[in-house]
Amino acid sequence: MTVEISSIVLLNVERGEPEAAELWDAITESQLSDWEAEWVPETFKAVQKLHRRGVERRLWPQSRHWNWRDKVAELQGLLGAKGFSIMCGGLTQGMMTLDMGSKRCRLEPQRGQHLVYVDYVENAPWNRKELMNSAPRYRGVGSIFIRTAIEVSGIEGFKGRIGLHALPQSESFYRNTCGMTELGKDSNYQNLSYFEMTPEQAIQFVQKGGSL
Amino acid sequence: MSTEKRTMTLNLTEAEMKVVEDLAAKKDLSKTSLIRQALRLYQLVEVRVGKGDKLFFEDDRTKEKAEVMLL
Repeated sequence: MTVEISSIVLLNVERGEPEAAELWDAITESQLSDWEAEWVPETFKAVQKLHRRGVERRLWPQSRHWNWRDKVAELQGLLGAKGFSIMCGGLTQGMMTLDMGSKRCRLEPQRGQHLVYVDYVENAPWNRKELMNSAPRYRGVGSIFIRTAIEVSGIEGFKGRIGLHALPQSESFYRNTCGMTELGKDSNYQNLSYFEMTPEQAIQFVQKGGSL
Repeated sequence: MSTEKRTMTLNLTEAEMKVVEDLAAKKDLSKTSLIRQALRLYQLVEVRVGKGDKLFFEDDRTKEKAEVMLL
């Protein structure tokens, strides 16, 4: 498998300055090993702290059950699926999988048109303020992934149209930072809110630089 | 994100070409993108059916399901 690596920049929060990073157009064994050896133990410790602080279980991050090794194995060889990852500071900072083949737009007037569906996207636990109860290590992972999904949508001829179901803790990011349209809770998908981006919204997001 | 492409010639009947053109116009896609999408869907169905899954059409109003028979 040939992996294409693009240069990107994340914001190093502690130093308050940009740091060189890499966007990989794949999720490889290297990222899966980081997930298993670094993300899972960190997430476990963070959930333990939430529990000890008396935070209700329904407020714990729902992605704590995600198994990236299984997800990537499921998508292996499928033409309509693609994975991406972000590397910085020697570790995986985020992973995303896209479905480019089986979903259609729901929002009028683009209903029925093709779109890139963001199947799964996750930030490393140390970049998640709501999880660590402290400043994130890096910022910008989510915005870079949304820009990437828009770019893939353009390459596929879908004109920047993307869609996704958001976990409750991420709704505000997709609504306010990305400027996507919220179509309400989806009873066919764990009652998560469904968001969609039009070609016009995609242009606006890209033009404003997908703020870090 | 560049993936090397290969070119092939596709011979279609007039009726088949009309379907490609009509669907491409309806879906706001180039003919290449349309064929690519069709191939992705074909592969996805093959993989899922190969795993033992069934493919259904569901009537949105009556919720009646009809299984699509695949060879």
